[in-house]
Amino acid sequence: MVDKIKVKNLSCYYNKKCVLESLDINIEQNKILSIMGPANSGKTTFLRTLNRMNDFNVNYLRKGEVYLDGYSIFCMNMENLRKRVGMLFAMPIPLPMSIYENIIYAPKCLNIILSKSEQNIIVEQALRDASLWDEVKDRLNSSAMKISGGQQQRLCIARILAVNPEIILFDEPCSGLDPISTAKVEESMIELKRKYTIVLVTNNVKQASRVSDKTAFFLMGKLVEINKTDELFVSPKKKQTEDYITGRFG
Amino acid sequence: MIKLSPKLSQKLSYLFLFLATILAIIPGVLIISIIIAKGWSVFFTLKFLTSMPTSGMLKGGILPAIIGTFLLVIISIFFVLPIGVGAAIYLNEYSKNNLFTKIIKLAIINLAGVPSIVYGLFGLGIFVIYLKLGVSIIAGALTLSMMELPVVITTAYGALNSVPLSFREASLSLGVSRWKTIVHIVLPNAIPGILTGAVLSTARIAGETAPLLFTAVAFYTPHLPHSIRDQVMILPYHLYITATQIPNMEENRIFATALALLIIVLSMNFIAIIARIYFRKNRKW
Repeated sequence: MVDKIKVKNLSCYYNKKCVLESLDINIEQNKILSIMGPANSGKTTFLRTLNRMNDFNVNYLRKGEVYLDGYSIFCMNMENLRKRVGMLFAMPIPLPMSIYENIIYAPKCLNIILSKSEQNIIVEQALRDASLWDEVKDRLNSSAMKISGGQQQRLCIARILAVNPEIILFDEPCSGLDPISTAKVEESMIELKRKYTIVLVTNNVKQASRVSDKTAFFLMGKLVEINKTDELFVSPKKKQTEDYITGRFG
Repeated sequence: MIKLSPKLSQKLSYLFLFLATILAIIPGVLIISIIIAKGWSVFFTLKFLTSMPTSGMLKGGILPAIIGTFLLVIISIFFVLPIGVGAAIYLNEYSKNNLFTKIIKLAIINLAGVPSIVYGLFGLGIFVIYLKLGVSIIAGALTLSMMELPVVITTAYGALNSVPLSFREASLSLGVSRWKTIVHIVLPNAIPGILTGAVLSTARIAGETAPLLFTAVAFYTPHLPHSIRDQVMILPYHLYITATQIPNMEENRIFATALALLIIVLSMNFIAIIARIYFRKNRKW
């Protein structure tokens, strides 16, 4: 087991209020780690710290370290880090352009590819990997704002894949989707873990148990418990975890 | 106190509000209809728009004034657009929300309220005298640009601000740099608003006289301007002098000049409205 990300004693603050307290977590390569917990437990803050999306927020402050392959992410170039650590947001955010342009947008900006045929290959591969190709292959040039919510979310996954990252962060990716779209997104997640390391934030306990290899439970900014998903759901060690997964609070 | 029945007070207030609306639009309707009624006969003798004034403005046309107005407006927009949009991008995308930025924003809003004659005096001091540009098209255009800047910055800032934050986050999260995000995502979605604001502010300055009094205009030029260092005639000032300074001026000629100015300004507003409708329809979010 290789640890892709190591988090050492990470604390985060908004307006000097602590939202994440001395967190230590290791994230294994090619596995899905899901983080569950009620609202305000610091899950999203943790995720946005991993690819430094919070750095623009002036009220945000952090202490501690996060290592990616042994290097501190806070010393890296921000664009390079985000290229390696992609992020999917809770609501699907297609950019206001066509499906094709949405996917090729980032590679173009990052100067990864040039020729039209190479672009076509990247778009097709990304859409296939996000299991969206069959649904949109005939209308690649229509607006990305016009496809359904579930398709938009998979388009956003494809957009991340086109940059060829190492880690993908999912921030409650199914909170706005119906059950069938959710199942499709989950399917593609399981497909993706062969190539990528995945961190999934969810407040859906069942989703965590369905897709993840390891599960962590956050409560009020603290890591309560982390274990292999099978073990955590069968025999949680902490009372709070048990209460949460059996639905007694949350 | 007189007690009115609810029905009557409802009717009275309705009547009052209706009259207020009518009173508000009457001046506009009167201005336009009187100008058209008195001006159209001279306006549509084609030579009026396409020839030089002769016999001490009593005869001939207003061509140099039309050209002067257009030149000033077009040159000033060349200065205003890049500077104004650049400042708006800095304020909306890069600046931190600290005291310094707040002071700048407040200053810009206040600049928009400075009387135009003050801009004229400032332009006289800095462009005409200090930079030795003389009373010229370029000095006038620069003065107009200063006047336009606060308006263009404010509208461009609003247009940039209305592009959803989530678009920026989506782009940044893919590893695209901030600058490229602005160029490829923010600006294309803000351009309709920026352009509409620019056209409207252009329409506003096309009718300005005060800032140009000391910086650009001439009472009369015998020929069309040859370079940007020449003085020009402009429509609003030409209107003023023909109406007040020249005896025995034919009234219809004055109104025809007003009609020309009105058409220029209104057609610019019209373009802005059409552009806004067009862009709204094509907006994908």
